[in-house]
Amino acid sequence: MKLGTNRISARSMVIWVTIGFVVLVPFMCRMTTLAGLSAGAISAGLIAGMVNGLGNWAIFASLEKGAKASVAIPLTALYPLCTVILATVFLRERPSSLQWLGIALALAGGAMLSYEPPAAPALEERPQCAQ
Amino acid sequence: MQTEPRRFPVWLWYALLCVFWWGLWGFFSKIGSVSANPLQLQILFTFGMLPVAFGMLLQMRGRLDRNPGGAAFGILSGFFTGLGALGYFAALRQQDASVVTPVTGLFPLLTVVLAFIVLRERLNKVQMGGIVLALASIVILSI
Repeated sequence: MKLGTNRISARSMVIWVTIGFVVLVPFMCRMTTLAGLSAGAISAGLIAGMVNGLGNWAIFASLEKGAKASVAIPLTALYPLCTVILATVFLRERPSSLQWLGIALALAGGAMLSYEPPAAPALEERPQCAQ
Repeated sequence: MQTEPRRFPVWLWYALLCVFWWGLWGFFSKIGSVSANPLQLQILFTFGMLPVAFGMLLQMRGRLDRNPGGAAFGILSGFFTGLGALGYFAALRQQDASVVTPVTGLFPLLTVVLAFIVLRERLNKVQMGGIVLALASIVILSI
């Protein structure tokens, strides 16, 4: 991803990555079929794909804007935190004690990953006295 | 001496936006998985990504970046992510999800190692601690 966004725009990356996914569709269609699926399941799957595509764009944009891959990838891998919250609110699932621990660790880990020391800002952000 | 207020980095906004979108992906996947198997879902995900890609192409007025390296890394990224998902489903046939999912959730560890070696990225101690906590939470949340 980072190697890609070093060369092309985030939006172009979304398109090329989607092509990479599409290449696998014929192989997957040999192993299964969509016949018999309910309209609800198909809709949920298609919406999931759309928001996945938007998430792809956001991670590429983050890398394009200077995020380190070693920070942005572990940070965005914390997305199950958001899923747990949505499932709690809309599906009325109740997180277990272990999941609460996971949520706490995710929040702490996310905050620590986002930490950039003030001494190392980008060149244009440095105060004038540092020139 | 005047000190400038610390700005919230732009990349972090996008990263958090990504967490939101992928969180929604997990949510809708959960709903879809009630009646669709993981492979069927993967096909639907791919079809669902097409309108987003088409929208991006329209926004760019058809001017797709055709840098060979960038395009190749993009296609490989999509191909291997899809392949990784297929590997995950294959592993699920051999082992319980409670074992497979936490293990595959550790993929950021490989990214960190590759970024250290290939991209020569260096993290501060707080960020390294963050990676440890993040990996622990990924394992716990995927059990």
